[in-house]
Amino acid sequence: MEFVKIPLDRILQKMADHAEKMQDRLHKAKDVLLGSLDTEIATTPCEILYEEDRVRLKHYYPQRSNGPTLKTPLLVVYALINRETLLDLQPGRSVVQNLVKEGLDVYMIDWGYATRKDRYLTIDDHVSGYMNNIVDFIRRRHRLPGINLMGVCMGGTFSIMYAALYPQKIKNLITTVTPSNFDTDKGLLHIWTKGIDADRITEAYGNIPGDLMNIAFLLLNPARLMIDKYVGFLENVDNRSFVENFVRMERWIFDSPDIPGETFRQFVKDCYQSNLLLQGKLKLGRRRVDPQKITMPLLNIYGRYDHLVPPEACELLTQRVGSKDVEDVRIDTGHIGIYVSSKSQKELTPKIARWLRERDKAARAGWKKNGPAAPGTGRKVTRQTKPPSAVGQKGTVEGKENTRAGD
Amino acid sequence: MKEDEQKTGSEPWSPAWFRAAADFWEIMAKMAQGESPSGKASSSQEGARPPIPEWGQSALEKWPFLSFLMQTAPVSPDSLLQGMETLPEVFLKMARLGWEGYFHLQQQWLEQIDKVGQRVEASKSDIFGQDTLKAWTEIYGQNFRQLLNLPQLGLNRVYQEKLTQATGTYSRFQEAMAEFLQVLYLPVETSLEVMKARLEELGREGNLSDDFKDYYDMWIKILEGHYMTLLKSPGYLDSLGNILIAAANFKVARQELMGDILKSLQIPTYKDLDELGKDLYRLKKKVFARPGKKMEKPND
Repeated sequence: MEFVKIPLDRILQKMADHAEKMQDRLHKAKDVLLGSLDTEIATTPCEILYEEDRVRLKHYYPQRSNGPTLKTPLLVVYALINRETLLDLQPGRSVVQNLVKEGLDVYMIDWGYATRKDRYLTIDDHVSGYMNNIVDFIRRRHRLPGINLMGVCMGGTFSIMYAALYPQKIKNLITTVTPSNFDTDKGLLHIWTKGIDADRITEAYGNIPGDLMNIAFLLLNPARLMIDKYVGFLENVDNRSFVENFVRMERWIFDSPDIPGETFRQFVKDCYQSNLLLQGKLKLGRRRVDPQKITMPLLNIYGRYDHLVPPEACELLTQRVGSKDVEDVRIDTGHIGIYVSSKSQKELTPKIARWLRERDKAARAGWKKNGPAAPGTGRKVTRQTKPPSAVGQKGTVEGKENTRAGD
Repeated sequence: MKEDEQKTGSEPWSPAWFRAAADFWEIMAKMAQGESPSGKASSSQEGARPPIPEWGQSALEKWPFLSFLMQTAPVSPDSLLQGMETLPEVFLKMARLGWEGYFHLQQQWLEQIDKVGQRVEASKSDIFGQDTLKAWTEIYGQNFRQLLNLPQLGLNRVYQEKLTQATGTYSRFQEAMAEFLQVLYLPVETSLEVMKARLEELGREGNLSDDFKDYYDMWIKILEGHYMTLLKSPGYLDSLGNILIAAANFKVARQELMGDILKSLQIPTYKDLDELGKDLYRLKKKVFARPGKKMEKPND
């Protein structure tokens, strides 16, 4: 073996030269970490208008004095994995806040925390049960035949199923980072789920523990998510803003509700392992989900560098639906970055708003004539209540998109 | 037998000891009966049945069955003494069998420990490596796990079975976990080797950096690349599948065991709650499947 002379002496010398800087940094870090940090998430004001079991419907207050500019409200459906608070993570980088600023009337489903009694809830219960009841509630409230529906990740898959089963109730459909084609080996999740015994896991656990999901997501890129992320944190620990954002992201990332067992079982077996959705063979209850029944306009947004839901899992959707008005938008970002990176914020919400506006008729006239009850009639919620199982974590991401799978 | 003794290591001193002890007690018994140690009866007792000593009288009174035997069986002290003489032989035989069996087992254990030692010696440089884990798994599986296959007997056999099941699944879970962690550690090992080669190359080119951060960035990129390869490999997928199944099996076995304990404390178990939950779920579906029935609580 050749003896390599690593200039250890020069490395140490350099560290010694920076000693004063290090000391100053440590002082600042101490002040930052021991001082009060603003790490609250989901701070955009909203009210709870509807509750059913663990599920709640949030309605965000319009920011314009004369109300939203689009007649048709938008319902956002998040995934069952992690929480919808990602879309309202920090001021200035909140998707819901930006959508509201764009003049949309925004509703969002909060799936809550599944308990043991929820273990028998199927995908059908979520789609034809909770989602359908909520859509009907919003339609009645606005006195409209159909609303706009936007799905995120697994929530997008649910939205596809809903739009296929109840096309008359959906005016426009938006899917973001939504897996619809599961017959691909491009993403690690697609490879891993092919071989797992979903029946055995569901029988053993009942609901799939959120901790198990957290471990699985960390294993997607252990080097970055378990080592490099925290090295980056230590390098910026004296920066208050960085620390606050890091902690917000950590709070969201490790806030994982349990997934109802039967939903998990069906999602893995029928979607990941059998890829029944786009084939039109997926059954919810007694009804078959036929993508050809999706005849409303469809906007399909996904991330080029998404390792959780790769482009190959998203781009087939627009070719399999019955709608003629379809559009694919690929953004140069990852799975999480599409919602939190400053670059995407400038692309995503304006695009969604513009697309909806083009398809919305008589926005202001419709609002004045058919507007719902004034905001404030429901229970006002201005801060996200602390979930029972949340554990405060330190960590933040400032523009770093490597929080999940090397985003 | 001598060859067996040499093989198992049982020693020839035991027969002599037993004989000496038997002789001693024979003499004592004869003296108790009034005979001289040489075996000749005393003159006063010739032709007559020797008297039963006082302690014998009280024993006969306390145990009527014994007095019944004494009366009905024509047992004479002589025949009793003869029987007692054979006792050492019987004890000797039993002891020899026991010793031989024990030494045989000891030999087997020593041979197995020797095998373990050889395996450890072979993988000495790789003490946390795959070979050591495999060796331990084989040794455990061949020698200890079979004990869990012993049949359970008696009134508590159901609980014994559940305990055995929980123990067995726990050990399999530990095995699967150790294997999984070992697989996860592989990229760290290989990245350090690659890093070493990279540093040699840079050293030859004279491009070694002064900044520790550069070395860290280099290493983390190499590590990430190795993980990306590992996480798609068949070996990792097998290991992942094994640990998921092992964890699920252990969870089920543990719940079964804990269920019995909770039952005895009259605390509902997950099984009870699940049955209730299922009934509620089905009831809800039946009730709210009817048109117009919704369980909503709108606030407006």
